[in-house]
Amino acid sequence: MYQHSPSTMAPRLMVLLSGLILLVAACGSAAPSSSTAPTEAIAGSPAPSASAAAASSPTAAPAATPSNATLRVGWSSEPDTMNPLTTYSTEADEVLHLVYDTLLGYDLELKPKPELASAVETSPDGTILTYHLRPNAAWTDGKPVTSADVKYTFETIHKESLSQYSQWLTHLIRVATPDPATAIVTFDKPQAFNPGLVVPILPEHIWSAKSAKEIQSFANEQPVGSGPFKLAEWKKGESLTLERNDAFWGDPAIAAKIAYTLYSNEDVEAQALKGGDVDVLTEVPPTIWDGLTGADNVKAVSLPSWSFHHIGMNVSDAKGSKGNPLLKDTTIRQALGYALDRQQLVELALAGHGKAGSSIVPLGMTEWHWEPTAEQAMNANPDKAKQLLDAAGYVDRNGDGVRESQDGRPLEFRLIAIESTSVDVRAAQLFRDAAATVGIKLDLATLDENTLGSTVYNTDAPDWDLFVWGWDSGVPDPDYMLGVPLCSQIGNNNDVFYCDKAYDALYDQQATTMDSVARKALTDQMQQKFYEDAAYLVMWYQDKLQAYRTDTWTGWAEIPGGVVFNFPRENYLKVVPNQ
Amino acid sequence: MMVLSAERRASIRRTFGQVWADRLGRTGVVLLGATAIVALIGPILFPFDPKQVGTSASSILRAPNGQHWLGTDELGRDVFRATIEGARLSLVIGLLATAISIVIGSVVGISAGYRLGRLDTVLMRFTDFFLVLPAVPLIIVLAALFGQSTLMIIVVIGLTSWPATARIVRSQVLSLRERQFILRIRSLGATDVRIIRSHILWNVMPLIFANTVLVIAGAILAEATLAFLGLGDPVQVSWGTMLHFAFESGATGRGAWWYVLPPGIGIVMVVLGFILAGHTLDRILNPRLRNR
Amino acid sequence: MFRASYLARKLLGVLITLFAVAVFNFILFRVLPGDPIRLQARAGNMTPEAVQRLKEVYGLDQPLVVQFGLYLKNVFTGQFGTSFTYHRQVADILAERIVNTLILLAAATILVVGLGVALGVLAAVRRGSRVDGTTVVGALVFWSLPTFWVGLILVFVFGVYLHVLPVSGTSSPGLSRGSPFAGAIDLGRHLILPTITLALVDIGQFVLITRSSLVDVMTEDFMLTARAKGLSRRRVIWRHGVRNALLPIVTATALYVGLIIGGAIQVEAVFSWPGMGRLMYDAVLRRDYPILEASFFVFAMVMIAANFISDLLYQVLDPRVREA
Repeated sequence: MYQHSPSTMAPRLMVLLSGLILLVAACGSAAPSSSTAPTEAIAGSPAPSASAAAASSPTAAPAATPSNATLRVGWSSEPDTMNPLTTYSTEADEVLHLVYDTLLGYDLELKPKPELASAVETSPDGTILTYHLRPNAAWTDGKPVTSADVKYTFETIHKESLSQYSQWLTHLIRVATPDPATAIVTFDKPQAFNPGLVVPILPEHIWSAKSAKEIQSFANEQPVGSGPFKLAEWKKGESLTLERNDAFWGDPAIAAKIAYTLYSNEDVEAQALKGGDVDVLTEVPPTIWDGLTGADNVKAVSLPSWSFHHIGMNVSDAKGSKGNPLLKDTTIRQALGYALDRQQLVELALAGHGKAGSSIVPLGMTEWHWEPTAEQAMNANPDKAKQLLDAAGYVDRNGDGVRESQDGRPLEFRLIAIESTSVDVRAAQLFRDAAATVGIKLDLATLDENTLGSTVYNTDAPDWDLFVWGWDSGVPDPDYMLGVPLCSQIGNNNDVFYCDKAYDALYDQQATTMDSVARKALTDQMQQKFYEDAAYLVMWYQDKLQAYRTDTWTGWAEIPGGVVFNFPRENYLKVVPNQ
Repeated sequence: MMVLSAERRASIRRTFGQVWADRLGRTGVVLLGATAIVALIGPILFPFDPKQVGTSASSILRAPNGQHWLGTDELGRDVFRATIEGARLSLVIGLLATAISIVIGSVVGISAGYRLGRLDTVLMRFTDFFLVLPAVPLIIVLAALFGQSTLMIIVVIGLTSWPATARIVRSQVLSLRERQFILRIRSLGATDVRIIRSHILWNVMPLIFANTVLVIAGAILAEATLAFLGLGDPVQVSWGTMLHFAFESGATGRGAWWYVLPPGIGIVMVVLGFILAGHTLDRILNPRLRNR
Repeated sequence: MFRASYLARKLLGVLITLFAVAVFNFILFRVLPGDPIRLQARAGNMTPEAVQRLKEVYGLDQPLVVQFGLYLKNVFTGQFGTSFTYHRQVADILAERIVNTLILLAAATILVVGLGVALGVLAAVRRGSRVDGTTVVGALVFWSLPTFWVGLILVFVFGVYLHVLPVSGTSSPGLSRGSPFAGAIDLGRHLILPTITLALVDIGQFVLITRSSLVDVMTEDFMLTARAKGLSRRRVIWRHGVRNALLPIVTATALYVGLIIGGAIQVEAVFSWPGMGRLMYDAVLRRDYPILEASFFVFAMVMIAANFISDLLYQVLDPRVREA
């Protein structure tokens, strides 16, 4: 998988971020003070019904009727489980997204739209969400979908703190079910973010018999869902097939089946697309993508992705931290920033498929991105790096080519990267060489992604100096990315243990600033501060590279984030086979 | 009675002469000699600087040209120079891992065969246990558990390839120990250590050597396999890691034969060299064991 | 046919080895890789309750000795615990994969044994001829090929440039399950390249062993006698020669099984073949220790069984035992 944000966390982040689209213009934070913020899209009562109407009458391709064709998708990694409460994999999310419904979903403009709930109302104080369920929604075993299912799903996740979803239900008090079609969800704090957008609704009659412990090891081999597709067959290590759910409450999908095929190698996968064995690829690495452009009947698409890869530095203040304390000196971090040539990284590690990185708000979020001036930029300037280090007294005292601090400690650090993410390994090699030219020695090692994830997030005793990986932000709002380096995120997303009170204060301020010009000023300030503190060296903003065949299925909507592997599931429902 | 060192030298020369006289043996020696020269002198004539990367995306995976005789890799580096550099690491790993394996195998084999009794039973149980473990899965598991530095890879391969050597050495020692001249020396009051050092060892040496040559071939293949499966040290250039990155970066699909073929051919040449030499040596030193 | 005591001794040996493998496995996987819970929890925060629940699921809340007891019980009842990746019983996962590996190994073994014996006999019979020389050199060359590299080259020659054979998986994507016959053809087509890759590399040693043991046998007295009795050359070779040469071939079985297991891991990785080898490869990349542990154990069991069988066959085939 190319889009390696540590893919261990990618799904979590993607979902998290998708929620933020709502907060975008609105409040930007789940902080209690945001209760005054208008949660426009979903909160207001007229909006949902309007979009519901739009959603139920298909605007495009009115002639499209259900076919008996199979849409063939190629991917290079397979789901870990069909249990939405234990999965960590992006592939599982992609499949479960079609098998289960959420109460609300996303349309092709990445705007919220009704899904299992035809409408939702938010109480004026933001603490009560009332979902009106569709009367014709049914589980694939024939039982109707009722508010009891919503109650079970929300309350169980909250009570047993199951899965990633529990973080959106932290403040849940109860779910009331006055009738089968109405679920009234009460929180003890205002909810700026609507959890209906992310939590898959599970059938109570199947899951409620299981204890939390049983759920933890439940493989859910035959998922009973309410979505547009159902699982037909999963040949593990090989393929997974979905078939159309004819009892689906909405417009039926045009594809009769979706067959996901696992390729152990992305190159072979690309050849399979060229040869016509599959119709679309979920992700394609840069050098392979280049080989697909110009192939007959293949369209290689490059879409914005709102993600970045970065070098993180351990600045933890934890007593148990085993990181090299020299990295807590901003000068050294800045010198590393100056040593790094980001354009070279884009050219060589990404084969040109991206933009040089700077701040943690990706370039794709045009109106929010802050770009350093030529003066401010800490990039591709090894002389400046040397100057900084010389001035701070880091010089090579013993002639071994590596600088030492005044008390004789060498500027030698460990650098780790994910073995299977070749773009990162390449970047790490280039970074190591760049650092060497300014007299800083980096010892590069690669780890598998799980080990790297658990090494980095060892909050109490992080035993590492620098790493390479990335964040995948999925929706165009700066709030999520800006929230990563908060003190309060140590133990959660904060992967470098950066903690700065002034930064935190700015974050709270921007989260409650409704005027976008004023907010922009604040977020710029935050980006600049975090850039200058250089705990992250953002390397690049990469493009999302995918490819599909043009002669088998038509009507792919090329939306930011990708034609598949994206929040909206519309493409799966709407693409049309060529006759 | 005592084997004189001049005699030993003569016997070594004679053995080499026999290998050289054999067509396959000679081919093997030539292949190995060529590789050794490439590994020793190549990097001096054509130094490989891993930092010498391309300048832009267009310098990635370029076909061979006047400047890059074997094209460029996924970072725009020279494949010809990398292949030469790779010879060095592949050989070093192969030789060092084999050294570990041979030392353990010889120590175990000699002590078991010479001492017999309980020590023999215990050591051979132990050896048989390791013989019965499937080699490639064992190496993979150990590499996955112990990490991916070059040193660990050498240790892991060394630690997993000694049992066959131990077995072969033991059986040779068993027959030696009952030979007249050993019995006589012992009756003259020589210590075990002395007997082993100056007689047994020298007599099993040819066999150990023939075995070594084959073990190196196996160790080089093992390193390449580990590296290809993503368990090598990705920071170092070996033929295995080159093939790993070629596979990862889609070199094959882009038809970049110049990146896929040279490291593979390098592996085949070296391994074939060792196998041919070992095969011939084995036949000469050990005419009864022709089925190896 | 065997003396009971011999069989009993051999079986005891097998049991002891199995036990040793289990202990080895336990030490390797429980003691070495650090905290499985941290690995399982991966990134992010976990509540103490969630950690406790995971510990119970994986039996890690017990002291090491109890864990070892539990572990032994599980191993010998075929329970290998729960996969970190798939959150399912490892035994179930293995059961799904093992068939695919068996199909691949069976196909490759038939090819290797059939072709290997034929070539070995051919070379031995015409010892010293050009055919013999070519066969020996060819066998040595194939022996020195890295399996994965041969796979790569076949993938791109037959799958990419010629596009005549499938290079991934066991069936064509989205192939609606038609007649069983069409399914078998499809499987057969997918089997061709992995089988050839595996066979090409492993056939070398087999040819050499067959050849040299037959050469040995052919110089024995009884062969000359049989020939002198007026039996045809062909009859002598096949009825007497090959039969007697079988002994070293059979004893080489264990060696061969070890080789082909190693080959299967590489071939399955290159061809996305969903068998045990690929499972093990994926488990390595994801550090899914329960799966690694179990697949290693299964491979070791196969090796032990192969050794046991080759011991027994030796007893059956050894003329001294037979004629006594």
